[in-house]
Amino acid sequence: MGLNRSASGERWRVRPDGPAKVTGALAYLTDMKASGMLHGRVLRSPHPFARIIDIDTTKAAALPGVHAVLTYKDVPGLNAYGIAVQDQPVLCEDYVRYVGDAVATVAADTPELAERALSLIEVEYEVLPIVDDPETALEEGAPQLHPHGNVLHRAGYKAGEADSAFATCAHIIEETYTTPRQMHTYMETEGGLFVPEKDGRLTVYAPTQHGLMDRLQLSRILAKPQQEIRVVSSPIGGSFGGKDELNIQPYGALLALYTKRPVRIHNSRWESVRAGLKRHPMRIAMKTGVSEEGRLLAHQVRIVADTGPYATLGAEVLNFAVEHVIGPYRYANLDVDSVSVHTNNGMSGEFRGFGGNQAIFALEGQMDRLAERLGMDPWQFRRLNMRQQHDPGPFGHPIAQTNGAEQVWAALEESSLCAERDTSGDTATTPPWIKTGTGAAFVMHGAGLGFGIPDPAGGRLQLAADGKIEVLFGYEEFGQGLIATLELMMIEEFGLSADDFRIMIGDTDIVPDSGSSTASRATSMMWKSLQRMRDPFRQHILATAAKRLECEAKQLIMGSGGIRSKQQPDKLLLSYLELAAFSDEPVVVETNFIFPAPDTKRVGAHLLYTYAAVAVQVEVNTLTGRVRVIDQFHAVAAGPVMNPQGYLGQIEGGSSMALGYTLTEKAVMEQGQYMTKNLDTYLIPTIAESTGRFEVVPIEDLPEGDEHGPRGVGEIGSVGLAPAIAEAVYQAVGKRITKLPIDPKELQEIPSFMGKAVRNG
Amino acid sequence: MSERTPAEGIRAVGLSCTVNGVPAELDVAPNKRLLHILRDDLDLTGTKRSCEIGRCGACMVLVDGKPVNSCLTMAYQCDGRSVTTIEGIADADRLDPIQQAFLEEGGYQCGYCTPGMVISVKGLLSVTLDPTDEEIEEALSGNLCRCTGYGGILRSVKNVIAKYKEGY
Ligand code: FES
Ligand code: FES
Repeated sequence: MGLNRSASGERWRVRPDGPAKVTGALAYLTDMKASGMLHGRVLRSPHPFARIIDIDTTKAAALPGVHAVLTYKDVPGLNAYGIAVQDQPVLCEDYVRYVGDAVATVAADTPELAERALSLIEVEYEVLPIVDDPETALEEGAPQLHPHGNVLHRAGYKAGEADSAFATCAHIIEETYTTPRQMHTYMETEGGLFVPEKDGRLTVYAPTQHGLMDRLQLSRILAKPQQEIRVVSSPIGGSFGGKDELNIQPYGALLALYTKRPVRIHNSRWESVRAGLKRHPMRIAMKTGVSEEGRLLAHQVRIVADTGPYATLGAEVLNFAVEHVIGPYRYANLDVDSVSVHTNNGMSGEFRGFGGNQAIFALEGQMDRLAERLGMDPWQFRRLNMRQQHDPGPFGHPIAQTNGAEQVWAALEESSLCAERDTSGDTATTPPWIKTGTGAAFVMHGAGLGFGIPDPAGGRLQLAADGKIEVLFGYEEFGQGLIATLELMMIEEFGLSADDFRIMIGDTDIVPDSGSSTASRATSMMWKSLQRMRDPFRQHILATAAKRLECEAKQLIMGSGGIRSKQQPDKLLLSYLELAAFSDEPVVVETNFIFPAPDTKRVGAHLLYTYAAVAVQVEVNTLTGRVRVIDQFHAVAAGPVMNPQGYLGQIEGGSSMALGYTLTEKAVMEQGQYMTKNLDTYLIPTIAESTGRFEVVPIEDLPEGDEHGPRGVGEIGSVGLAPAIAEAVYQAVGKRITKLPIDPKELQEIPSFMGKAVRNG
Repeated sequence: MSERTPAEGIRAVGLSCTVNGVPAELDVAPNKRLLHILRDDLDLTGTKRSCEIGRCGACMVLVDGKPVNSCLTMAYQCDGRSVTTIEGIADADRLDPIQQAFLEEGGYQCGYCTPGMVISVKGLLSVTLDPTDEEIEEALSGNLCRCTGYGGILRSVKNVIAKYKEGY
């Protein structure tokens, strides 16, 4: 059954953050101001690779109205940051390694003066030869970005003897897939307000996906205890992984502490483009062989990722890609090798899908080609090789078993899109240059950070003096609807009304460590936290109420407005406010645990997976080479739907990103410089490309005894569409896609009547 | 690349217009962008800054009832005009039906594009209350949304059109 408003009944609710969003009243952190505030700016490198010979800030500092011009000399603590490895300079001292590298930062009375000050800073560079391709970066004699060389990380996986197994294969497909540098393109660029407080503390109002991680990183840079830094990090105008790493925070913080005045920074779009993270461009070479009957006998993969100049989460993304080029299939022999390489291109890092998008585009491309070679239906071919319910995970490791793979496979098989795939298509009414085709893809996507990476989770419930139940989590609201989901969970778990409780997130002074809002983990972890806290909290509340009401706790229940009689739930016995007034000890329950990871030694291997099957119908205009998606079907097996509006929005929104990835989006770089500096040349989907039919079928059941509950859906919608479109295009016009975004030139055909004219002429 | 047109050297002049029905008299450089006047001088931050080149629609406002990109509009172009921002769309005690429809259908996620979206729909519906699909597409194709994939936005627009048909 398709997910929509009418099918969701009362569970389709107005989001708590909705009214302020539709009226424009919501103050984003980049909307904030403070009296006496200064305007901060960052001077970034004009060169993709250069040695810094000298930085002279005298003229800039002498400009009236300029209050600070800071360089590496002014960083009191560690002059480096990075979630996993701290190798990215806050302010460069000896080298700049990409055009986003920061060299100096200024604070001035007005944005115009700050801009003038930047132009007065004199930096002498010795320009160096660059490496702008990961494969040349690996060659001997290539310029080296770091003392350890140009390799950030290698990862591989072997099972059996793929090399020799190819000799026994009846068919082998070899192909190299290339994927683009995709930009997150959150509509709100990076920025925020930095306020030095009277007591010596610093308050940072700036978006991030993990406030406590920003606090830790800032504490290292500023050499200031974490307790003296408060990070307020929600609401956020979009992130998609792009604001998880630090961006402008170090500069705002340094300037505010130096000038002892509030400082505001808000990146222009161009500054966001040049400094910000992108999705890793990857080249994935695959060689896959099957038996006569179509069994996968050998699968060999080589991945080269362009990670840019510094680490951030490049290694983790590569590990994820290695896991997902194996995916949901059984192979007799496997051989995966991969490398993530430093270049002088832009920074690559975390982005919704986390390396799965690239991996699955390639893997599913192989499956479609193999099926065709075998003369089999591509979906039957997948079925033949698909993992079974009790199979281990991609690395042969134990995983939480669900029947998701089978379920989404079956749902797709039953979809109208799939059933009509042979009969639909070119009709008498469509012009001859419009060709239609249908394609599908299969996705198994890991959630959580995986084995071997610190992945804390937790939350807190407490009764406040004003009678509100406070719900505290260290997660961030960047649009996904986390607050709305949490509200619905509280209503359903405790029988409360929305005004009985107060949700508190995004402030390091009050929240517990819940880990990062990333890797499709927040919904799962909120659910799990509430499962763990529900009974103790309820018992605590009811025991306190029983004392006050002089009865037995078991006669009482929690409900809307307060404590009610179990016998007559209509009867309100004690409001939460009265309970709070009576209680002489705090009513608090907190839980802390770790996101479930598999029992393995394989770093990054996942325990929990979400499954999806995606089918699309496309129209290819062979005159223009343009592809139009006219119908989409998504079956998603992620356990129970916690928030129907949020779930639908995640699949629709994720899919829209994948549409851009497939058809138009590419942050073009030449010689280490961005060519696509703004949204006039970097093209994300508009409403005009988004009017096709769209159906989402959630598969909610989980095996009996499953203890993990809802799996995340934040990323999976962004993964399967690209390979499905590629196959649909092939079905329409018979051309194989190996490179994203699809180049319309490759699909243009000279119309037959023109061909004749040319020949006859 | 210049972030803003430097205001220095250009003499501030009087700008008089109405903003959300209230007369406003400001001393600003004639080439100052309306986006910055609204956000910085008038504290109307519902109008959002994103691309500043007229491509995303986050900064959309109505000038004499017509949707314009405030990032491309200069102060002198507003003289004597009536500017309506997202803050001026709702009545004191009631949301505009467009805003109500966005709430009901979930036509937003992060909300950063939402003020501009609502303004563009307002502009469209002031021309016709029964737009065709093509007219909707055309009216909203200058408003980028990165979160929703536009499904919820389209449903919101359909919702409000249906309500108007029912005589809301
Ligand atoms: S900020 Fe004006 S159109 Fe993008
Ligand atoms: S809701 Fe985030 S950009 Fe539209």
